[in-house]
Amino acid sequence: MRSFQENIAKLEAADTQVLGVSMDSPFANKAFADQNGVTFPLLSDIGGKVIQDYGLYKEYDKFNIKIPAARRATYVIDTNGKVSEMQVDAEAVDPTKVVTFCAARKAKG
Amino acid sequence: MGKAAIAVLMACSFLTATAQTQKESPPPAPKVKTGDIAPDFTLVDQNGQPHSLHDYKGKKNVAIAFFVWSFSPN
Repeated sequence: MRSFQENIAKLEAADTQVLGVSMDSPFANKAFADQNGVTFPLLSDIGGKVIQDYGLYKEYDKFNIKIPAARRATYVIDTNGKVSEMQVDAEAVDPTKVVTFCAARKAKG
Repeated sequence: MGKAAIAVLMACSFLTATAQTQKESPPPAPKVKTGDIAPDFTLVDQNGQPHSLHDYKGKKNVAIAFFVWSFSPN
């Protein structure tokens, strides 16, 4: 999420609203946002319903237990509500492509 | 080396390759793909404020960044 924060000015300039989504509680998200200077909304999908709607639900093996969470993914939704770009797993870590894509969309008009 | 030994070696390497393929099989593609209508949602942010995807329809693009955990690298 820090990488998105680093690019937030560019994304806002491209008329793009960033929404982070995870299965964290709002309390964890608040602490994380405060500690890392995150200014965009970090949304809490506690039960994972939205994450399941998108097909991104995954159980991670940590500390010998399975912890449900989202897979890393970035979706760009256009003003008509359609998915115009998506990246999943490792390729979703760096938002550079998303920034370039949104800036190009704005330039096209 | 006899033919039997070569056959055994080949079988072993084939089995190993199969096992590796199964272990490293790519995760399934997400349900929502490029060109689809993005499923709507309403969720609360870190300050308890609700945000809906439809709030931005006709106004702004939205970049939804799904992340694993807040306190995780990246």
